[in-house]
Amino acid sequence: MAQTEEVKDKFEERLKNLSAEERQRILQSFKSKISSEYAAYLNTCAHCGLCADSCHYYLTSKETKSIPAYKLSLVTSVFKKAFDRVGQKLPNLVGAKDLSIPMIEEWVDSLFGRCTLCGRCTINCTMGINIPYLIRAARGALAEAGLVPPGLQSTVDTAVTKGNNMGIAKEDWLETVEWLEEELQQEVGDPEAKLPIDIKGARLLYTINPREAMFFPLSISAAGKVFYAAKADWTFSSENFDVTNYGLYNGDDEASGIMSGRLVQAMEELQCKELILAECGHGFNSNRWEAPEWLARKYGFPVSSILELLTRYIQRGQILLDPSKNQETVTLHDPCNLVRLGGIIEDQRFILRHAVKNFVEMYPNREKNFCCGGGGGQLAMTRFAQRRLEAGQIKADQIKKTGAKIVATPCHNCIDQLMELNKHYKLGIEIKTITEIVADALVLDTKG
Amino acid sequence: MGMEKILGYGVILSLGITLLALAALIKRTLSFTTKREFSVPQGDWKKGVVYAFGKGMMPWEKESARKHIFTYCAGFLYHFGIFSALIILLLIIFALPVPPWAVILSKILIALGLVCGIGLFIKRILLDHMRQISCFDDYIANFLVDMFLVLSFLNMSFPGFRTILYINAIAMILYIPLGKIRHCFFFFYSRFLFGRFFGRRGVFHRKKAQMKV
Repeated sequence: MAQTEEVKDKFEERLKNLSAEERQRILQSFKSKISSEYAAYLNTCAHCGLCADSCHYYLTSKETKSIPAYKLSLVTSVFKKAFDRVGQKLPNLVGAKDLSIPMIEEWVDSLFGRCTLCGRCTINCTMGINIPYLIRAARGALAEAGLVPPGLQSTVDTAVTKGNNMGIAKEDWLETVEWLEEELQQEVGDPEAKLPIDIKGARLLYTINPREAMFFPLSISAAGKVFYAAKADWTFSSENFDVTNYGLYNGDDEASGIMSGRLVQAMEELQCKELILAECGHGFNSNRWEAPEWLARKYGFPVSSILELLTRYIQRGQILLDPSKNQETVTLHDPCNLVRLGGIIEDQRFILRHAVKNFVEMYPNREKNFCCGGGGGQLAMTRFAQRRLEAGQIKADQIKKTGAKIVATPCHNCIDQLMELNKHYKLGIEIKTITEIVADALVLDTKG
Repeated sequence: MGMEKILGYGVILSLGITLLALAALIKRTLSFTTKREFSVPQGDWKKGVVYAFGKGMMPWEKESARKHIFTYCAGFLYHFGIFSALIILLLIIFALPVPPWAVILSKILIALGLVCGIGLFIKRILLDHMRQISCFDDYIANFLVDMFLVLSFLNMSFPGFRTILYINAIAMILYIPLGKIRHCFFFFYSRFLFGRFFGRRGVFHRKKAQMKV
């Protein structure tokens, strides 16, 4: 705890003592992240305020600072002062402001601490402004100056330096897979059942969220069981297995590229045909949509969510499910990065309708769903933990209304936040991944 | 040459200046980096764009519009009123005939637009959170446009308002590239980008049909 406080103090100190040159560098970095599309967006906001009620932060706090238009205005005002002629000549007229130290403090507080980059404001914006991507650009400028809140930055640093965001050593990963494989063999009653590693030429390369290896090994077992039932030709990588990419959250494109590049490297080294991303919302958005842009290259292989793969297995009859094995009422939380920003919307519903007896939707859902509050790197930034829990009240209320006992969600960040909401709001629910639910419903072909 | 005629040319000149300023603004906007897209699309960007300019703006589709239906309708009517007044202004300047039905329709649209514009102005002044997200520009832009609607309406009903209408129109048109009215210009591009982004990711036109159990 004392160490956390010390890190926090150092951060505050650095923030307060930024030199004019450093602030200038932040501006230049910000400029480099502004594309012509972003520049157009920055000229568009009419301050209509209709976005306010779309944001879970504003809805739960009613603080003006949490209105998306306000958060965007922090970015726009700096953009105008630095890069717009009217803003430079008539700053008071158009609200153009310098990137002063108080402004940087507000950037940190609002752009990191009041936004999960969920994109709900964008679909509710009259103009359609991509607010989370603009906020990410501003976060990225702060990242280059070392002004990312410490918890989030250390997650990125760990991933960049150690190969995965939990810093799991290769031998520990291999050991985990080994004991999970033994458990799988016992569970399916087949000593030949495998959790293959580094199989050259396997059709599928499957990635995981390192939190699964550390805290949720059942998620890995579940995936292994499904692959076993589907007789899939697949493999893990012993080196590059991390689907997460917190660079999406701190805005550091270079670090993001390093992390996602490792999966590309694994695909090429192992000569696999398809990259399968585990249930991880931001990991999906990063590796499916953003990574080719960070790496400035087209991939020579398809990148799919495991949900798309499960859908294929069900449609082809490659796995057989018995929904009566999941009797409890199940509802679904849609992770923003997978659904609203990722386009994986119906697969999870299709799967759940095959895998559980009683599936109920929460409202609103799909791309209109509310963020749980755990995205945008919030779980890594302890300084904003209280705000995160309060912002999660919308999700807690949504869940309560469904009356479901189980909340399925294909994202480990969401799972962590939902677990905290479960405790904080006394929801009395169980939280599972889709693959875990599928694994529970599997009818194994015992005849081989 | 009478004062009215001179001011009429002034309006045209201000339009020209504004178009040049907007062209410079586009040039400046395009001077920022251009992003190439490397990821493989999942959906059709064109469908996304159609959605962005159609269904995606409807209150049954967009929660913010549904929850604030009066503001949403007021916004629509306000902009209809402004465009009607602009068309009438150009017709007057170029001395083109306006059919009687068009005069009545325009008067209705301009009057409705004016009521809505004033309503939105009052909302911005009265609501705390609206004040906090506003700057001078928001008030000036609203005032100039509301005055334009007032004078357009009066000019269509009573003689003697044309000179002051032209003066106001010149001020308003010249203000377009300076302040928030430029959003009218960028709106179309932003909605296009919105539709393209979500369209290529297949968010708004999903593979529902294949997903029936």
